[in-house]
Amino acid sequence: MPIDPAETIVVRGVTLRRDPARESCFVIGHHETEVQALRDYSVLAVRSMLHREYNNETQNAEIAAQMLVDFPDAPWELRMQLARQCWDETRHARMFLRRVQELGGRKGESPIKNGDWGLVGMIETLPGRLLVQHRLIEGGVIDSFRQVARGFRESGDARTADMLDVILADEIQHVRFANQWLRHYSHEPRAVMQMAAALNFAAGVMRALQPKSGDRSLDGVDLPKEDHGIAINIDDRRRAGFTQAEIADLIQRDASESELAEG
Amino acid sequence: MLSVRERGETVATLRWIHVRLMETIASWVPTTPEMEVKLLFGAHVWDLAQHADALGKRTFELRLPLQHSLEPTDPYKQLLASLAQVKDTAERVASFYDGVLVALAARYRNYLERTDRLLDAPTVRILEHIGAEQARMIRESQELRAELPALVLSHSEPVGRFLDRERLLDTFVVHKPEHATVGA
Repeated sequence: MPIDPAETIVVRGVTLRRDPARESCFVIGHHETEVQALRDYSVLAVRSMLHREYNNETQNAEIAAQMLVDFPDAPWELRMQLARQCWDETRHARMFLRRVQELGGRKGESPIKNGDWGLVGMIETLPGRLLVQHRLIEGGVIDSFRQVARGFRESGDARTADMLDVILADEIQHVRFANQWLRHYSHEPRAVMQMAAALNFAAGVMRALQPKSGDRSLDGVDLPKEDHGIAINIDDRRRAGFTQAEIADLIQRDASESELAEG
Repeated sequence: MLSVRERGETVATLRWIHVRLMETIASWVPTTPEMEVKLLFGAHVWDLAQHADALGKRTFELRLPLQHSLEPTDPYKQLLASLAQVKDTAERVASFYDGVLVALAARYRNYLERTDRLLDAPTVRILEHIGAEQARMIRESQELRAELPALVLSHSEPVGRFLDRERLLDTFVVHKPEHATVGA
């Protein structure tokens, strides 16, 4: 499934998949400097965050849908799981937009970025996409959504917190089915090589796109200094099929990164 | 009356069609700009997958492999291939919901009229269920079009053309010659 060069764009020297189709009301950024990043609980910051998530969930639906198109020979059970995911992600997108509207916002009101699509769309193999999109990216969402939901609850916005908790429960299922298939593919040397290549590619892209000194978001956040500390959501990671040892590795890596950040 | 083989072949062909339709609207999810339509297609990918799955379980009960698909006739395949090429959003919506799903409903009715509702009861249940589900999908598309009139196709010609082509196809199933022995 080679990717047509016409379907790619270059961002900071990295070749990514061209954006999926969007209406003209959207302003599309390709780097963190081209979107907002403020994380306080002002209405505008919340709306901007929810609006980005609206687009992120749409991207997840697009990624799952594209996997159905790109891998017609995948096992039927996996295709069913991807099809179900498509539906879940569309509902999540609608939930986020509804919340944006409840808070006085509208579709297209703040810039969006299709970073996951751009990265995952460059991976040409099914095990590779399952690893990067489901296990890594959506696995990360398991941690971040719990923390973000907690923040909303503490700030008095139980409605947004409840919505995030509903979405988190669905995301556990998406990561779980991917983990089951990844274990299945781990017995096939060719698939292992495909996973390794995908992981290597994703790490390279993330490194290249990491904010550099002087990079600021549209709303003035000093991006390299931003605190990315997110606690590992042990219970839900376990539900999503991560083993005790894998969770221990994540916690250890998290601790090492915190130490590095504190200098 | 339809034989077990003919029923199996029809169900397996319908499965092929549903998998192909699922792939078609899945391909439209990233390529349709309008978010509401994109999300409608994404939701209906799951519906079509479930319909294909139900048909695929039934193939096993009709002496075919589990989740077995049979390609339809060439003209029917060409018809679906032309659907997959549609680019305009309003035309995609109209062709899929007012064209393909409406035509499929007629095919289900035709099958239900020809089969013995007792001898073939499990297939009857599945087709009645799929028909009701697809009527809901059509309704959902109509609700969206009522909400966003820009999605209404300004001329019904492409849908009419599709339905005319579809109606001209006497059958979509490629039946293999019947062997003499039961269970062949």
